[in-house]
Amino acid sequence: MTDERTEELASARVLGALSAEEAQMLDRQLQDDAELRALVAQLRGVTSLLAGTSTALQPSAQRRAELMRQLDEPEAAAARETPASRRWLPWALAAGFAMLCLVLGWQTNALRVRLEVAQHRLNELNRLADTLRLESADLRQSVLTLQQSNRLANMRIALLASQLHADPQAVAVSIWDNERQSGVMVVHHLKPPPKNKDYQLWIIDPGYPTPVDAGLLQVDPSGNGRVEFKARRPIQSANQFAVTEEAKGGVAVPTLSALVLAGT
Amino acid sequence: MSDPNGTGNDHDGQLMRRIRARERPAFLEFYDRYAALLLSVAARVLGNRPEAEDVVQEVCTQIWRRPEGYDAALGTLCGWAVTLTRNKAIDRVRATSRQRRLIEEVALSADSDESAGASANELLYGKERAARVRVALNALSSEQREVIELAFFAGLSQTEIASRLEQPLGTVKARIRRGMLKLREELGDML
Repeated sequence: MTDERTEELASARVLGALSAEEAQMLDRQLQDDAELRALVAQLRGVTSLLAGTSTALQPSAQRRAELMRQLDEPEAAAARETPASRRWLPWALAAGFAMLCLVLGWQTNALRVRLEVAQHRLNELNRLADTLRLESADLRQSVLTLQQSNRLANMRIALLASQLHADPQAVAVSIWDNERQSGVMVVHHLKPPPKNKDYQLWIIDPGYPTPVDAGLLQVDPSGNGRVEFKARRPIQSANQFAVTEEAKGGVAVPTLSALVLAGT
Repeated sequence: MSDPNGTGNDHDGQLMRRIRARERPAFLEFYDRYAALLLSVAARVLGNRPEAEDVVQEVCTQIWRRPEGYDAALGTLCGWAVTLTRNKAIDRVRATSRQRRLIEEVALSADSDESAGASANELLYGKERAARVRVALNALSSEQREVIELAFFAGLSQTEIASRLEQPLGTVKARIRRGMLKLREELGDML
């Protein structure tokens, strides 16, 4: 009569869930216990039925043909035949050497195997870490690219041409970031305004009936200037930019007759 | 397994004797009968068909070249081939750190009653018998099914299962034993 402990071992054995020591212990018992062998045989049948609950897949004809070809190929070791007359000598030497190695290397071999297993595991982990690092870098790059392309999509770049007959070389470039609701304007060759006047920047958004005030624009005596600006009201679509000459400190509504620069 | 389709122990024994005698038709018969089952279990463990096909190829080559590894006293030819396949597949999973995914899949499948398509048992034994296996499995408690599937399909030892489920080792051993013996009782005439 098989006891519960042995039934536990047999059940776990056929599922491959025993430790190496437990499996060895059971295997020793199996040699002398026919009843236990019968139990293991039946439980192994159970695992076959358990395996059969997997979704059915049919091997391809190509794999079948490959396998049949492989059956005809001799194993690597079998392929290297040695004449029978000389066969004993290497075997004798190898046996002697093996015995020597066995005695001398018994303990170190066990350690080496464990070291190899640990090394193999470490290599696997390193490979996994490398893969994850690469994937992470790829993802970061993709996110950056997407952010950049998205930001560019939200950018409005306009060239503003002079509207002054007396100062036709004046020119400006405006870059507006709709997402951040801010922009930068760079001006060249625009004569400074009279002392009681200021240049004022406007954004034309079709969502508003009048241009939106974007602040004052300062230029140096040589006519160059750079200003970071924000609109006084939220901008949906910056269709056009303009610079007018207004009273000192700026005005709420632009004086269109004093248009200095304009562009889309 | 005693089976009218000819998968019984006697038939397996004859087939193995012929394979040992290097009879290719016998090996082809073995392959055509069991390769689908072996591929199905390897694919379930590996989650990857090409790798599963490699494993089946290795197992079949091993059976052809080293048939002396089969011990009829310890089970059927089918059972031996399934064990070889499952073990090789689990070795590959361990080597590629995919065990966590597998454990999660096994845990999920323990909650569902039906598999995605026809089972390998259906191909091998027919719908009626495959249904009997499914019913027997479903008759187990979910705890018994879970520990059995974690051991067999995810390759966890009893100690690892106990740790994962935060259950005493003795409880896990008892669940495996009771579950397996119950399946043996329910499916005895198919073994």
